[in-house]
Amino acid sequence: MSNPSESDARLLERIGAGRVAARERRARRRNFATAFLFMAPALVLVCGMLLYPVAFNVWMSFTDWRKFKGLDTFVGLRNYERLFGQIYFAEAAFNTMIWVVASLVFPVLLGLGIAILLRGVRFETTFKNLIFLPRVLAPTAVGVIWFYVYAPAGLLNYLLSLLTGEPVSIGWLYQANTVTPAIIATHVWQTVGIVMVLLLLGLSAVPRDPVEAAQMDGAKPWQTYFHVILPILTPTLVVVAIISVLAGFTAFDLLWVMGAGYPGQRTLSLVVFMYFEAFQKGGWAFGGAVAVVIGVLVLLVTWVQALLQARAERMVR
Amino acid sequence: MQATIDRHDYDAIARAEAARRKGGWIVLGVAILVSLVWLAPFYYLLVSVFKSSTEYASGSPLALPQGFSPIVDNAIRVWTDAKFGWGLANSAIYGLIGASVAVFIAAMAAFGLTRLDFSGRTFWFMLIFSGTVFPFQMYLIPLFFTYQQFGILNTRFGMILFYCAICVPFPVLVLRNFMAGLNREMDEAARMDGASDWRVFFSIVLPNARGPMLALFLLQFTWIWNDLLFSTVLGNTPEIRSVMNALQVFQGAYTSAGPNIALTGALMASIPTVLLFLFLRRHFMAGLSVSA
Repeated sequence: MSNPSESDARLLERIGAGRVAARERRARRRNFATAFLFMAPALVLVCGMLLYPVAFNVWMSFTDWRKFKGLDTFVGLRNYERLFGQIYFAEAAFNTMIWVVASLVFPVLLGLGIAILLRGVRFETTFKNLIFLPRVLAPTAVGVIWFYVYAPAGLLNYLLSLLTGEPVSIGWLYQANTVTPAIIATHVWQTVGIVMVLLLLGLSAVPRDPVEAAQMDGAKPWQTYFHVILPILTPTLVVVAIISVLAGFTAFDLLWVMGAGYPGQRTLSLVVFMYFEAFQKGGWAFGGAVAVVIGVLVLLVTWVQALLQARAERMVR
Repeated sequence: MQATIDRHDYDAIARAEAARRKGGWIVLGVAILVSLVWLAPFYYLLVSVFKSSTEYASGSPLALPQGFSPIVDNAIRVWTDAKFGWGLANSAIYGLIGASVAVFIAAMAAFGLTRLDFSGRTFWFMLIFSGTVFPFQMYLIPLFFTYQQFGILNTRFGMILFYCAICVPFPVLVLRNFMAGLNREMDEAARMDGASDWRVFFSIVLPNARGPMLALFLLQFTWIWNDLLFSTVLGNTPEIRSVMNALQVFQGAYTSAGPNIALTGALMASIPTVLLFLFLRRHFMAGLSVSA
């Protein structure tokens, strides 16, 4: 026979524990109600203004929606089929790929090069601020400035004619083979500063000991960079690379301002193509399909980023 | 022992210094060259805004201006032809209201997500944060259509509403991380004294989150000020346009007016955020490091 007082105590304890659990559950529910009130404005704005449009966009890309008609006619994948038969789409997609690769390679390489170059040089801060300066301007203002730098009678042609001794008047922004590189160069000019600052932040986090140990062992500067600093910098580089790729995918302002005079403006990138199809030609559903393609590509990049970041973090550990 | 370590370190430092001094002049030269290339467009901008249209057309793009007075005429032309006054006022309103409301709403949400215990917090956070995942292009057509239906297309209310929404998710991420690190004992103490949740939020958590909130406000204000895309789609009339949209429209429509005038517009549109950046660089850099 068990001790009655002991089982009583246990029973009481259990009742007590149950009461505490119930109280906690009640408190959590009350907490949720309060927390929900605190989150409500954010939830309303995000769901109503951001998530609902995305859902709407995906759904209507399967309809025949054009100006004033067809939001209720489903056509399945026809918009997407039409897309891949379009020569303008192919050209826009190709140019977007150039943008993505160029805005990954050039800002990161130049940013890394300048970051390494400027470390420890005299007037380091002044140089850094100068390189960062374009970033402070709005892309639209930058586009206006460079529109005239590239103009037939603009700064670039003037400098070229000084160099060659002959008058140069190339319409950089009006020719199919120069317009994209020209705008990308402007983009690089503006973004190298931020890439450099982020990389310098990463470099300043590199611990002194392994670097000095390598130098003690007689490592050449480039060996130190490649085998000691670069691996530690990898997580920062991943972040910077992803930011650069996404910026390349979704670039609009510069293209819109600087490409305004280019005859084939819609082919400059997928984003500009989408704007043309939807807002200038009224093909809502077709433009929506382009937006979905851009969205899928961006999600893909974000997913790759998550994978790379996880791996980079494991590498550091 | 101590002394040998010290001398050892000094040797290393001295050797590094000597190596740097040897290559120093070349590096300095390269750095100056790069900076000159980087500065050339700024120089071009600054000399052009002080030229009249005839002066700009007749001289070299790099020539120094003959005087300072033409900038007044240029500015007046931008002001009247591009309705730049509207643009500047609109952008200021959109930026001030949009960024401050969004950061405040984000702070409320972050408080709910971190300072109150309930299950499913990760879900609610992900729901809000998913607003940053999709590219802007996916919002454009549905918003345009919905705005048209509700009659808020090309209105200031519509523009502010959208800017408030787009500026919420990212600050929620930052402030959630920040508030999660704040000591919760203060909250409990205040609750013991009978303070309501709202009171705890307002008098304890908000004052402590001032630093990151200011940095976030600056980031979001600059983003709204610089935005071209959404003003082009959702608010494209002369009275509603943001300053960047006004600049773009002006540059497109008045290319014959002369680069000096459009460049003056670009300078005028840039001055507010450039000044903000120069005076509050510390806070911008704080915002930069939290966003990285």
